[in-house]
Amino acid sequence: MRRNRWAAAWAALLCVFLLGCGADTTYSEQHTVALIAKSTETEFWLSVFAGAEAAATEYNLKLTITGPETEEDYETQNQMVADAVAEGAQAIVFSAIDYENNAAAIDDAAKKGAKIVAIDSSVDSQAVSTYIGTDNYAAGQMAAQAALDRIVGTLRIGIVNYDMNSANGQERERGARDLFSSTGRAEVVAAINTLAEAGHAREDTAQMLADHPGINVLLAFNEPTSVGAAQAVEELGLSEDVFLVGFDSNVATVEGLQTGSVDALIVQNPYAMGYLGVESAYKLLSGQGTGLTAVVDTSTQIVDRDNLFSMDSQKALFAFESR
Amino acid sequence: MKGVSRTELRITTILVSMVVGLVTVILCCCIFIFLNRYRSAMVQSARTSTAQAVSQVSNTVSNYLQDMDQAMSMVERSMLEDADNRDRMLTAFLIFRPDVVAVTSYSYSGQLLDCWCLDREPRETISQNLSFDLNRARSSGGAYMTAPHVETIFEEYYPWVVTMTTPLKPGNKAAWVSLDLSFSSISSYINNVSIGQRGYCFLMDKEGNIVYHPQQQLLYAGLKSEDTEALASLADGAYADDTVIYCLTSVADSDWRVVGVSYVDELVNRSVSEMIHLSAILAAVLLAAAVLTSWLLFRLLARPLRGLADAMERFETDADHFTYLSVGGTREIQELSGSFGHMVLRIQQLMATVREEEVNLRKTELKALQAQINPHFLYNTLDSIAWMCEQGRNADAVKMVHALARLFRISISKGHELIPIAKEIEHAESYLQIQKYRYKNQFTYQFDVDPACLDYYCNKITLQPIIENAINHGLDLLVDEGSITVQVCQDGDDIVFYVRDNGVGMSDELIHAILEQGPEDRTGIGIRNVNDRLKIYFGKQYGLHITSEPDVGTCVEIRMPKIQEGNYEAK
Repeated sequence: MRRNRWAAAWAALLCVFLLGCGADTTYSEQHTVALIAKSTETEFWLSVFAGAEAAATEYNLKLTITGPETEEDYETQNQMVADAVAEGAQAIVFSAIDYENNAAAIDDAAKKGAKIVAIDSSVDSQAVSTYIGTDNYAAGQMAAQAALDRIVGTLRIGIVNYDMNSANGQERERGARDLFSSTGRAEVVAAINTLAEAGHAREDTAQMLADHPGINVLLAFNEPTSVGAAQAVEELGLSEDVFLVGFDSNVATVEGLQTGSVDALIVQNPYAMGYLGVESAYKLLSGQGTGLTAVVDTSTQIVDRDNLFSMDSQKALFAFESR
Repeated sequence: MKGVSRTELRITTILVSMVVGLVTVILCCCIFIFLNRYRSAMVQSARTSTAQAVSQVSNTVSNYLQDMDQAMSMVERSMLEDADNRDRMLTAFLIFRPDVVAVTSYSYSGQLLDCWCLDREPRETISQNLSFDLNRARSSGGAYMTAPHVETIFEEYYPWVVTMTTPLKPGNKAAWVSLDLSFSSISSYINNVSIGQRGYCFLMDKEGNIVYHPQQQLLYAGLKSEDTEALASLADGAYADDTVIYCLTSVADSDWRVVGVSYVDELVNRSVSEMIHLSAILAAVLLAAAVLTSWLLFRLLARPLRGLADAMERFETDADHFTYLSVGGTREIQELSGSFGHMVLRIQQLMATVREEEVNLRKTELKALQAQINPHFLYNTLDSIAWMCEQGRNADAVKMVHALARLFRISISKGHELIPIAKEIEHAESYLQIQKYRYKNQFTYQFDVDPACLDYYCNKITLQPIIENAINHGLDLLVDEGSITVQVCQDGDDIVFYVRDNGVGMSDELIHAILEQGPEDRTGIGIRNVNDRLKIYFGKQYGLHITSEPDVGTCVEIRMPKIQEGNYEAK
C-alpha cells in the first residue's frame, strides 16, 4: 500500500528526531584518576596531594593517591601503575622516579587506554599528554644565581643531588652547572648522589664537606637532601662559612633559614602541580584534551632570610591545611 | 483510477502535514516560552542559592570574629590580675580554647614581654614577629585585627593565625596584648564550601586584597586570577553574567567581605539542557501522537470511501457478476455502504427483469413470424403439390408433402427453443427442397457440415430466415442459375454457420439497415430476430455478420457457442 510507505516515512523521521534529541545530552559519569607520587611523606608531596584533592572535588573525580616508601623505588611505582590500571583508573597523574625505567610501565598503561599526565618529574614516554611542573633547568639556574648574587669572590661548590636517574634532579643540576661554568668564578668541587632521605643526605654531605674543606657553596636539589644538607652544615658549625641553597619548603629548612644553616630556598608550587595535574586528567577524560599544552610551568620562587615572612613567601612556604 | 488515487494521496499528505505542522509550531512556541521562563527562574534560584551559601560563610566568619572579641575581653580581664592569677587564668583559658595559639604582651616600645602558650616557648631571637606591628598599634588607637599570617615566634611551628591586638589601660606594665587565633578552622570551612560543583567562596578586605582563597597557591602562581578590584567596587549583592555568578556579602563588624563564585553553566545550563531534553522528548511524543491520530482518522474515513469507490467501479464494468461486500468504518460510511448495497441489488433485479422481458418479446416476435409465414408459405407449397398431382408427378408430390411435414414438425419441436444442429440442418434442407420445387430448379444448394458439430445445439429457425432472404433478395432477381451453400464448422469454442449465395449482393447500407434498424419487410424482421435472439441468449460477441459484394454474392456468418444438450434449456 502507498499510504503504509508514508506512515513508515513518518515513523522514520520521528525516530531520527528522537535520536537527535537523545544524542545531545550525555550525562557525565564519575571518572577515576590515580595519582602516583614519588613519596607520600614529604611536605612537598603532601601539598601536591592537597592540590590534587581540591581539583578532584571540584571536577567530581574519584581520586586514589599512592606512592612508594622511598624515592628510589621505581619498581614499586611500576607495579602501582599496573595496579591502578587494573583497578580501572582512566587517567594516571604520574611523577617518575626513573626517567627511563618507568617508561615501559607507562607505555603499557597507555596501551590499555589510560591517559597519562606527568607532574614534577617526567618520564621517557610518548604517552605523556602534558607535563606540569617546575622548569627544572631554570630552577637550577635560579639556585646558582642565588649563590652568585650573594657571594663575592670564588665559589667552590658542592652539589648534593638525589637519584641519578630522576629527570628533574639532573635537569636542575645541569642548569646550575651551566650557569656556574659561564661565569668563570665558580668551580664545582664535588657532586654526590645520595638517597632522597634526610638521614642519608646528612651523612653523605658531612662526608663530602670533610673531604673537600674548601667548599663554600652547597646546592641541594630537593626537600630531603636540603634538610640533610642543612643538618650537616649545622652539625659541622659551618653556617657562616657555607652558603646553602636548598629546594622546597620544610619546617627544618625554614628553621635553617632563620638560624643561618640555610641561606636560600627555591620554592616550587606543589599545590599547583597536584591541582593542575588532576585538572588536566579531567580535561583529557572529558574530551577537552586538545587545548592542553605540552609543558606547563608552575612557578618557582626564591626565599631567603630577608623575604622569609613576606606575604608571598608565607603563602608559598606554609600550607593552610592543618595536618 | 490512478489520477483519483494521486489526488487522494495528496489530500492525505496535506491533512497529515497540516496537523503535524500545527502541532509542531504550537509545541515550539510553548517550549521556547517555557524554556525562557525556566532559564530565568533557574538563574534567579542559582543567585539565591549562591547568596545563601555566601551569607552562611559570612555568618560563620562573623561568629569567628565575635568569638575572638569575647576571647579578647577575657584576656583583657586577666591582664588586670596579679601575675600568678594571670598565669593561672590564661593557662586555663588556653586549655579551654585550643584554637588560641598564643597570647603575647608587649611593652610601650614594642618589646615582647610575655608569651602564654601551652607546651611552647618563643624562640630566643625572633627575626620577625608578624603578630605585632608597633607602628600599626600606635596609629590605630584602639583594638585592631590583622589579616591571616603565619605565627613566627615559635621554633618549627608555623600555624596560620589571625591576630587581634588591644591596648591595655595605662598603668599596666604591658601596653598591648595580642591574641593569636588559629585560622585553620575558618580556612578549612571555606575550603569545604561548595556552590554547585565548582563554585567556591573566598575572603577579601574592603580594598580588594585577598584575605583567604581556597586556591591560594594557584592565584599566587598566576595560574588563576580573581578580578578583586572590580569586585571591591561592587556593593553587597548578587551579580550574574553569562558564565559566572558573583555574590558579595560584608562580614558584620569587620572590613572583610565574603565573595561567592558559582558557575551559571553547571547550576543553570545543565538543568536547562535537561529540560530541553525532556521537552524534546515530550514534543516528539506529541508529534507522534498527532501523526498517529491523523493517520487513524484517514484510515477511518478515506480508506472505506475508497473501498466504496472501487466497488462502484467494479459494478460499473461488470454489473451482472458483481457481488457486493459491505465496507466497514464509521456510521456514516456504513450507511453509505448499506445504501449502495441496496442499490446494487435493485439494479441487478431490474436488469434481470429487462432481460426476461426482452426474451419474451423475441419469442413473441418469432411466433408472430411463424404465424405470418405459415399461411403464405403453406398455400404456395400446397399449390405446388396440387400442381404436381395434376401432372401425375406423384413421387415428387410425396417428397414435397414429406418435406413440408418435416419442416413444421421441426419448427414446432415440442416448444423447445434449442434443438440439435442436425435437426436444424434437416429443417433448412426441407425448406430448400420445397423452395427448389417452387422456383423450378432455378438454383442449386449444397450442405457442407462438420459431423462433429451435429450433436451440439442451436436456436431453432436460425438458418431458414437467412436462406429465405438469400432466395428472395439474392437469387430471385438473378438471371443465371443461383447457388446456396450452407457450411457448419467449429471455430475454437464456437460453432459457425455460413450461408453463402452468388446472388446480387447487398450494399453496406442495406446490411446495416437489416441488422441495426427497424425491419422494413418480413425477411428483414426474420434476420433481425435471429441476430437478437443469439445476442440475448449467448452475449454480445455472438450473432450475425454479413459480408456482401454486389453482383458477386453474400455471405452470412452465424456464430454461437458450443452448447451441449440441456445447458440453455432453462432459458
